[in-house]
Amino acid sequence: MGRWLDFESNPWGQEVLQGVSLELMYLAIGLAVLFVVGHLVWYRSRGFSEHEKTADIQGSVAGIPERIVRHTLPSRIFHWTMGASMLVLLITAFVPLLGLEFAWVTIHWIAGAVLILTIIYHVIHSILWQDFWSMMSFNVREAIGHFRHLLSSKSTEPEKPGKYPFDHRMYHQGIVVVSLAAIVTGVLMTLRIKTPFWEPNAYYPLVDQAISGLNELGEPAITVLPGEATGFVFVIHGIAGVALIVMVAAHIYFAIRPDKRYYLWGMIRGWIDRKQYLAHFDPDKWSVVDGTIQESPPGGAIADSTVSAPRVDD
Amino acid sequence: MAIIRDMIPAFELFQPTTVEDALALMAEHGEGGWVLAGGLDSYDWFKDRIKRPEAVIDLGGIDELKGIIDGQDGLEIGAMTTLTEIVRHERVRSEYILLADAAEHVATPQIRNQGTLGGNISQDTRCWYYRSGWACYRAGGNTCYAAAPQAMNREHAITGTSRCVAVNPSDTAPALVALDAKMTVRGRRSSNVYDAEDFFIGPATDITRMTVLEPGDLLTQIDIPSEWANAHFYYEKVRDRGSWDFQLVSVAAAFKTSGNTIDDARIAVNGVAPFPVRLDAVERLVKGAAVDEALAIEAGEIAIQGSRPLKHNEYKQPMMSNLVRRAVRSVA
Amino acid sequence: MAEKIIGTDIAPQDLVAKITGRAKYAEDFRADGMVFAKLLLSPMPHARVRGVDTTKALAMPGVIDILRADEVRQIEGRPGEASLTDEPLYEGQPILAVAAETEEQAAAAIEEIEVDFEPLPFVLDPLDSLRPNGPNAYTGGNRFGGGEFSELKWTDADFEEIEAGRMPNGEAAVEWTKGDIDTAFSESDLVLEESIVHQSLTHHPMETRSAMMYWENGKLHAFVSTQSAQRTKYAIAGTLNIDPEDVILVAEYCGGGFGSKISGNTHMEVPAVFSRKIGRPVMLRITRYEENYIGRARPGFQSWLKMGFLDDGTCNAIDLYIVQESGPFGAGDFNTAGMIADLVYTPQNMRFRGIAMYTNTPPKAAQRGPGGAQIVIMMEPILEKAARQLGLDRLEVHLKNAPDADVGFGPRNSTLTSVYAKEALEKGAEIFDWAGKQELSGRREGSKVTGIGIGLSPYTAGSRGYDGLMVIHPDGKLYVHQGLGNLGTHSIMDTARPAAEILNLNWDQVELVWGDSSRGMPRSSVQAGSQTTHAHSRANHAAGMDARAKVLEVAAQTLGGSPSNYDMDNGRVFRRGGGASMTFAQVAERAIELGGRYDGHELPDNIHATTVPAANMLAGQGLMGVARDNYGGSGGVYSWVAGFALVELDEETGVVDIKEYVAVTDCGTVLHPRSLGAQVLGGSIQGMGQAMTQRWVFDPKWGVPFANRLYTARPPGILDVPLDMKADAVGIPDPQTPVGAKGIGEPPVGAGGAAVTSAVADAMGGHCLCRTPLTPDIILAELEGLSQPFTLEQHIG
Repeated sequence: MGRWLDFESNPWGQEVLQGVSLELMYLAIGLAVLFVVGHLVWYRSRGFSEHEKTADIQGSVAGIPERIVRHTLPSRIFHWTMGASMLVLLITAFVPLLGLEFAWVTIHWIAGAVLILTIIYHVIHSILWQDFWSMMSFNVREAIGHFRHLLSSKSTEPEKPGKYPFDHRMYHQGIVVVSLAAIVTGVLMTLRIKTPFWEPNAYYPLVDQAISGLNELGEPAITVLPGEATGFVFVIHGIAGVALIVMVAAHIYFAIRPDKRYYLWGMIRGWIDRKQYLAHFDPDKWSVVDGTIQESPPGGAIADSTVSAPRVDD
Repeated sequence: MAIIRDMIPAFELFQPTTVEDALALMAEHGEGGWVLAGGLDSYDWFKDRIKRPEAVIDLGGIDELKGIIDGQDGLEIGAMTTLTEIVRHERVRSEYILLADAAEHVATPQIRNQGTLGGNISQDTRCWYYRSGWACYRAGGNTCYAAAPQAMNREHAITGTSRCVAVNPSDTAPALVALDAKMTVRGRRSSNVYDAEDFFIGPATDITRMTVLEPGDLLTQIDIPSEWANAHFYYEKVRDRGSWDFQLVSVAAAFKTSGNTIDDARIAVNGVAPFPVRLDAVERLVKGAAVDEALAIEAGEIAIQGSRPLKHNEYKQPMMSNLVRRAVRSVA
Repeated sequence: MAEKIIGTDIAPQDLVAKITGRAKYAEDFRADGMVFAKLLLSPMPHARVRGVDTTKALAMPGVIDILRADEVRQIEGRPGEASLTDEPLYEGQPILAVAAETEEQAAAAIEEIEVDFEPLPFVLDPLDSLRPNGPNAYTGGNRFGGGEFSELKWTDADFEEIEAGRMPNGEAAVEWTKGDIDTAFSESDLVLEESIVHQSLTHHPMETRSAMMYWENGKLHAFVSTQSAQRTKYAIAGTLNIDPEDVILVAEYCGGGFGSKISGNTHMEVPAVFSRKIGRPVMLRITRYEENYIGRARPGFQSWLKMGFLDDGTCNAIDLYIVQESGPFGAGDFNTAGMIADLVYTPQNMRFRGIAMYTNTPPKAAQRGPGGAQIVIMMEPILEKAARQLGLDRLEVHLKNAPDADVGFGPRNSTLTSVYAKEALEKGAEIFDWAGKQELSGRREGSKVTGIGIGLSPYTAGSRGYDGLMVIHPDGKLYVHQGLGNLGTHSIMDTARPAAEILNLNWDQVELVWGDSSRGMPRSSVQAGSQTTHAHSRANHAAGMDARAKVLEVAAQTLGGSPSNYDMDNGRVFRRGGGASMTFAQVAERAIELGGRYDGHELPDNIHATTVPAANMLAGQGLMGVARDNYGGSGGVYSWVAGFALVELDEETGVVDIKEYVAVTDCGTVLHPRSLGAQVLGGSIQGMGQAMTQRWVFDPKWGVPFANRLYTARPPGILDVPLDMKADAVGIPDPQTPVGAKGIGEPPVGAGGAAVTSAVADAMGGHCLCRTPLTPDIILAELEGLSQPFTLEQHIG
C-alpha cells in the first residue's frame, strides 16, 4: 500500500493535492469484507442466535395492532430511491476504476442529482411530517450500554429501543455526514463538467481562485495555491466515497441478516407484526397504542392506507 | 522539481524486426514501454519530458507492417506504411482518392515521408493544456483546464466531450471512417478487428486514451474494403495556415450515387470531438435523396444538432455545418 | 572596364557555405573542455524565489556548478532585465543555470533542483492592469517614472465602454497634437471610428540565441548569434564591465533576429560569467521552447481610432489612442505607430495619445517595423472603408494623402531626406493592374469572394556617421572590413559595393572580412532600424574614396606626376592616356613602404575611437582606406513599400487565400536587385503572417503562454504565400546620400500585412474586423453573425 493521497503538480509546478489514491478504494473494499467477516465471527463467538427473536406475547396487547406501520409508502419510496441512486453512484464511481470501462460520468451525476432530490424530499418530509427526534435523539447512557454490550459478553443486553435503535440512529447520523460531504463536493465537482444546466468551470471562484492577500513583507501575495482547493474537494469526495463503500456494505449486510429480517420486511412491506414489535421495541419508547389503530387490518394489504399512528414515526 | 523541456531523456531503444518480437517486448515492458512509429507524436512527448518511457520499441524495422497489398476485398495497408506512400499509391489514388487526399493534408512533405498511417490515426490529441504537461483529466489529473470559462479553447471540441474537450487531430481518421476501414489490433494472445469508427474512443469511455489500443496492443493493419471503391468522395480540411497545421474542422465523405441521387453515404467529421464523428443522422437524411441545395443545407444543419460550443469555438458549428453542406453539395 | 557592381545580381560570398551547411552558427562551435549549460525557467508569470535547494542536483554525475542570479548583473531601482533573476516577471524567465559535462546531465540536474517560488499577482493584458483594482505587473505598481513605481488606473466608466465593445479614452501617458482636431472632425464629410486590436507575436527567428564562450589569457572568446557584430562586442564588454578589446567576438552568421538580437541579447551573459566561474568553455544552446520565452515579441496594441475625411478623400483628422502591451521591460512601438500614422495619411490635424503598460508576459522588443507594421495593418482596412463610403478609388485616396518630400510629421514635425511613396504606389498599381483588378473586387464564385487591397508602409531606413575600413593587400585585393552582423540580408556584402566601384574593381577582386572581431571591425551601426544599407554604403563610400585618393597619391609618388594624372581600373592604377602603371599589389607594397597614413600607421583624427584599435591592428598590411561618413544630411531617412494584394475569401469557411501580391519600394538606389526582392517579399510574407496566421495564446488563469513552438505559433508557410508575387523598386536615388541607397528591411512587413487586411475588408464589402490575426474563426464568426469570441481585453488568444 502506498500513500493514501495522490498529489499532482499544478500548472506552476507546485505540488497540490489531487485526490485519494486508488489504494484507498481497495482498502475500503477490504474493510467492508473484514467488517462482515468480523461481525459474523463476533456474532458466532458470542453465541447469538442466527434467527430472529420473537416475543413471547404475554400480558396485554391491548391497543397494539396486528400490524404496525413502520415505514409509510412515501418513506419507503424515498428509501429505495435513495438506495438505488446510492448504489448507482457507487457502481459508476468504482467499477470503472476496477477496470470495466463504460461512460460513467453522466450516469453518475444524474444519480447524484436524484440522490439530492430524494434527500431534499426526505429532510422536508421528516421535519414536517415525521417525528424528527425519533431519529435524531442521542443518549449517553444508552451509548455506553451499547458499547459495553459490544465489547463484553458479560454486559447486560441493552434496553429495547424505541422506533429506531441506537445503531440505526448512529448509522443514520454517520451516513448523513458522509453523504452530505459527498454531495457538497459532488456538486462542486459537477460544476466542473458539462451538464445541460451550466457550462463547465474547472475553477472555484472565491475558493480556488488565486486569492490575493498580503505576504510577510506587506505586499500583495497569492495565498492559496491554485488548484489546491480542487484537490481538497476531490479528497473529501474520495474519502466520503470509500467510506460509503464500507457503510453501504455494512447496511446491506445487516439488512439481509436473518436476525434482523424484520427491519427488511418493514422497509419492504411497510409494517412489522405485533410479535416483532414486542420482541424488539420498547412500547414506551415507540408507542403505537392509540384508539385510531385498527386491529387486524385487511389481510396482506399494506398498512399505510388503513393504519396511521398518531406520530407517524418512520 | 523544476520543469525543463526540449531535451529528450535517455531511454532504451529496441528495434524488433517481427511483430512477434515487438509484442513480446511490449508485454515485457508493459506500461513502461512505448511503441514508436514515425515518431512525430512520440518525440514531441519525449522532448518535453512529459512521457518518459523506459523502453522505446521502434517499429521501423518491421517490414511486415509496411506496404500496401491488393487484397481480396480491397486494400490491406500495413500500419507502418508512410503517408507519402499512401498519397502516391496508384490504386489508392484511382479507387480511394479520399484516403490519398486526407493523407496529403497531413502537415508537410517531410512529415508525410516520416509519418505513418498507423501513427497518424493513433496519435494523441494536441490540446495544448494536455501537451504542456498539465495534470488534466487526460493526464490522470482531476481538471479540464480547456473547458474553464476563460480558457483558450478555440481548437477544442463542440461535441462528444465528457470532462475532456480535446479533439482528435488526425487527418486520415475521418477518411478511414468514411471508407469503413477495418483496423487489426494484435495483442500477445489475441487479434481483434475493429471498425474504424469503433477504433476511436471518447473520454466518456476512457479519458486517457484516444483509441482502443491499450498497453500491449499493436495496430498492425488497416484494411480498406472494396465496398466503397470508386465512390464519389469529398474531403476538406480547414486549418489556420496552408501547411504544417492540424485541422480546425475536416470532413470526409463517401457517396454511392446514381445521377444526383445518393444511394448510400458515409460521412465523418474530425476536429469537433475527441474522436472522428460519424454523422449517422446526415447519412440517413441523404440516403435515397436527390441532391439539391436545400438538401445540402439541411444536412449541414442536422450535422451540428446537439453540439455545444465552448467560449472560443462557436465558429466550429457553422464551419462544420458548411463543410458537411459542401460535401453533400459536391454530389450534384 | 571593371564590371558594374551596384545594381547587379551578384551571389553573396556566404551563399555556398550556407547552402552546403559549412556555415558555422553559434551552436556549431566547440572548444576543448567545453561543458553545456541549461536554464531553469520560472514556471509562473510573477513570483519571488524564496529558496533554492541544489543539493541533489550538484551531486548528480557530470554536474559541475550552478549559476545564480546574484552572480550576474542586476538592474537596480528600475524595471530592467537581468540574465538570471530571483523575481521572475514572466513565465519562462531564467532563474538559474546548471553546467554539466553533457546537455542531458544538465537537463536532468535542472529537474532535481527544488525552487520555492512565492507566486505574486500578475497581469497579462494592459487593460486588466488599468482596471480599478486590477493587478499590476510589478509589486510596486504598473507604471514607472521619476525613479519610482506608481499606479495608473482608469475609471469604472471607462470599463463600461470596454464592455460595450468600445475602447475608452482613459488617462494617457503620452499625448501630442497638431492642428485642431475638433474643428477638423466637424468639418469632415466622413468620420469613422473603430476599436482595433493587434496581437502580440513572437519573433521566432530560425536560429535561436545560442552562445558559447570561454576565457583565455584574460580575453573572452564569444561565439554568439547576433544581428550586429562590432556593437555586440561592445555590448558584451559593457555587461561584463571589461575592456572591449578583451572581447573576441565570433559571429559569422545569424539565422535571423527580426530585432530580437540587435546587439546580442541579455542571456549571452550566462555562458560568459559561467565560464569565468568554472574555468571551462560553456555552451548555452537555446531551444525553440526557450526561445519562445526569452526570444522577444512584438508588443500588441489595443487601440481606438477616429479618422475624418473630406469628400475628395483627403484625410484631414486622425485621433489615435494606443494602449500597448509592453511586457515586463517596456517597448516603444506605440510612439512610432503614432508618427507613422501621421506620415502615411498626412492629416493636418492629429491627436495621438498612448500608454504603455507593463505586463507579465515574455519581454517585448523591436520586431521588423516596430509600431509601423502594426499601425498600417490596423489602419488600411479603415481607409478601404472610407474610400468605399466616399465612392472613391482607394489608390486615389492613397495618392491624395501620401506625403511628398516636404512632409513634416510627428510631435517634432520631423522631416525626411526623400519620399517617393506616390511613385511606389503608381508603379505598384501599374504592375498589379489596379485599374483592371477593380472589376474583380467583390466578385463572387461559389462561396468565394475576391478582394483587393493596398498597404502603404514606411519605415526608418538609414543613419549617418559611421566608419569604413578597408585595406588593399599586397595580393592586389581589396579587403573590406565590415563591423556589421551577417543577418542574412546581404547588406554585409552589398554595402561594400560602393568601395569596389570607386576603386573600379571587379567583385572578385574584393574580399569581405567579417564575423570575427580579431580580424578588425570598424565602428558600425547596429544592424537594426534598416540602417545598414544606408549607413554603410556611405561609410564604405567614404573609406573607398580615401583608398582611391591614397592609391592615386602612391602612384603619383612612385611613378611621377600628380594624382590627378592617374586613374584606375581592374586592379591597376595607370597614367591617363597611357604610360606607366602599377598593379594594386604593387601599390599595397609601396604603401607599406611609405607607411604613415598610407598603411594605417597614421589615422584620420575624426574616426571613432572604437575604430582605432581595429585600424591599428591592420596597420602595415597594405594600403588602408579608412574614413568616417561625413557626408551629413538633414532629416530622417525612410523607405517605403506599396503593397497590392488580391485575396479570395471563402465565406463558408472563413479561409483567406492570398492569390497575388505586388510590392514596389522606394528605397533609393538599388544595390542588389535579387536581394532586394528577397527582402521586400520576405518582409511582406512576414507581414501577411502577422495579419493572418501568427499568434500567441495565454491562459489567463495561469498566465502562461501556449503556441510556444513553431507549429503552434504559425508563422506563414510556403502554402500561405501567393504563387504570384512580384517585387520592384522605384529606383530614384536618395539625394542626400552619395550612393543613393536606403535600407529596406522593415517597411515590407506593414505593406504585406496591410495589403491583405485591406483586401479582406474589401472582400467583406468594406467591413473592418479590426483585429489581427484574421484567422478563419474570426472571419467566420463575423460572416455567420456570431458574437466575436475574443474581446477588446484579449490582445492575445
